Amino acid sequence: MSTSPSDALTLNAQYFDGRSAKARPVTLTLRGVTLVLRGESVAREDDIATLRVSEPMGAAPRLISYPDGAHCEVRDHAGLARMLRATGFRDDWVVRVQTRWRWALAAVAVTVAIVFAGYRWGLPAASEFIAFRMPDSVLAQLSGGTLEFLDKHLFKPSQLPEPRRKALADAFARMLTHDRSPLRYTLHFRDGVAVGANAMALPDGTIIITDQLVKIAAHDEEVLAVLAHELGHVSRRHGMRMLIQGSIVAFVVSWYIGDVSSIAAGLPTLLLQARYSREHELEADAFGAAMLTANGISPKRLADMLAKLEASHRAKVDESGKDKDHIPPQTESDKARRGSIGDYLASHPATRERIEALKKAQ
Amino acid sequence: MDDPSGVTQRVGAAPSPFEFTGTGSEYFRIWIVNLALTLITLGIYSASAKVRRLQYFYRNTSLLGNSFDYHGDPMAILKGRLIGVGLLMLYNGAAYWSMALAVTVFLLLIAVMPWLIQRSITFKLFNSSYRGLRLRFNGSVGDAYNVFLGWPVLVVMTFGLLLPLAHQRIKAYQHNHSAYGTAPFNFSADVGSFYVVYFKLLGMILAPVFLIGVTAASYGLFAAMGSGERDPVKLIQNMMQFFVLLAVLYLGLFLIIGPWYAARTQNLVWNHTALGAHRFSSRVRARDLLILYVTNFILIVLTLGLFKPFADIRLARYRLTHMALQPQGNLDEFFAHEQQAVNALGEETANIFDVDISF
Repeated sequence: MSTSPSDALTLNAQYFDGRSAKARPVTLTLRGVTLVLRGESVAREDDIATLRVSEPMGAAPRLISYPDGAHCEVRDHAGLARMLRATGFRDDWVVRVQTRWRWALAAVAVTVAIVFAGYRWGLPAASEFIAFRMPDSVLAQLSGGTLEFLDKHLFKPSQLPEPRRKALADAFARMLTHDRSPLRYTLHFRDGVAVGANAMALPDGTIIITDQLVKIAAHDEEVLAVLAHELGHVSRRHGMRMLIQGSIVAFVVSWYIGDVSSIAAGLPTLLLQARYSREHELEADAFGAAMLTANGISPKRLADMLAKLEASHRAKVDESGKDKDHIPPQTESDKARRGSIGDYLASHPATRERIEALKKAQ
Repeated sequence: MDDPSGVTQRVGAAPSPFEFTGTGSEYFRIWIVNLALTLITLGIYSASAKVRRLQYFYRNTSLLGNSFDYHGDPMAILKGRLIGVGLLMLYNGAAYWSMALAVTVFLLLIAVMPWLIQRSITFKLFNSSYRGLRLRFNGSVGDAYNVFLGWPVLVVMTFGLLLPLAHQRIKAYQHNHSAYGTAPFNFSADVGSFYVVYFKLLGMILAPVFLIGVTAASYGLFAAMGSGERDPVKLIQNMMQFFVLLAVLYLGLFLIIGPWYAARTQNLVWNHTALGAHRFSSRVRARDLLILYVTNFILIVLTLGLFKPFADIRLARYRLTHMALQPQGNLDEFFAHEQQAVNALGEETANIFDVDISF
């Protein structure tokens, strides 16, 4: 044998012929472009171009595969690395990337950026897309029972005189939407009892307004302003979009965490969800303002009403008339109250911020 | 010259534990790089990522000093993923348009599911190897319909009474139709032992439910209803608090029951599975799993998900290192004589694919 430098490149391995599970201890030697295998009852010489070597995976053995299904299991990582260098072998770029921390951190940054972008923009866009393709029957199905539930637990029949209710309902029915879009809604008056001055919208177009809200309004136009805002929620399908976003987030989180419990997975979901209706409120305000302007009513009416609602609910601090059903109803009192507490995770923007926005809309 | 047989038996009877050499920090880098590539390629790379992920786990698992290997072809996995995603989209799309269509698609999905599961098991085993020999699965499609469709239907019809029986049938189907080389796996757990696990499970669920019920009756509901509380909001608040309490208690209950069930079923299944004459043993403890689950969950939440690969490694290490092969006689001898079955690489490779949409 000649004493070429590559003779030093010898390592121990176990050989499996692919036909039996018998392990054969062998030595592997690189001679030029030939891998020489020698063992007790086996010997073979192969062109390295025909062989494949598995990528490094920590302490796991690396496998040199022969085209006939045989393979060698190599645990001498340093020896194999030396041998591979001598052949000029270069790892796949993915392998080089995934073994280095610097690249791993870059991958963390890329992943976080994509996930954040997906959550911040992709998710709302997707749920908007889906929500506007939902047939009305589905909306009705999802909202069904909610009003009955609220009537049972939260509301009493309206104490307002029938002519007063009719006058408000007719005035609102006469109003046109700024974009001339036909809107289907049903208006309900209720005694809010403990929830006080309040209004809410369900995905199927059910709008509920409490006697207390009508009473604190200084002008009918203020009531119409709140109704226009609620119609904004219906028109933009906010309830449905919240529901779809919530389902998607819950699905992804529980799938990701997996092992523990899908109930526990709901916890972070709630936190992640809180942010959304902020945009929805501003959107509904904008819709309301545009609709009011189109009907010759100043958007300031909505701003005034927001201020009154906040004041009315700040007065009763320990009030908590919120009863979450499976459909998140958008309630005015809720926004005012939470907004005034100061909010990063609050689901509604501070009333002042909304009032400022409405003033600009004028 | 043979040893006296008794000596050979005793020498050979020392259990050979599974060893696991994977580490969280290595796997984290593989996981995050492949996750980023998957996201950048809109999921297409996920098939390659899955192969790499499984290879990391397989190759870091050893028995008798030799590692396992995974051979799945990313293209076959991608094909299966497209089928999976397609079916999911078909189902969800149908639900938006009409209920009748959704029901039709749902029934269609149920009808093809056993076949897809059979294909998946075949794919998984065929692509798993040890010492150069592939595992094999020869369970028939007909039997797959029996265990994955027939039995579940019976379970529903008997209000869950046959659930342990169905579970036993599924495991028997999987483990009795697997083979390594020419040596078959066999499964010996009887239906009774499954019923024992499920009865204990039922007891663990019912006892606290009974306790909660008694507590609720004496404290929660009566306090809320009978206190003469007139303010409906207060009443609702009280009831909400009560339901939150219930939910928390239930969460705690499932946190304990989940690991207990996982530990018991893994032990039951593997302690009654043998490869040829050699039995497997599994010594997983519920309380260890509980600690693992809870700490993994807390760390995953605190790290916003980045702990996930570490959690996967911890769980795999625990599960694998508590399993062993109990040899009857000399395992090296056994493996030395194990031959690749004829036709193992035959036509069946052409039409198997993996069906799952996990990443």
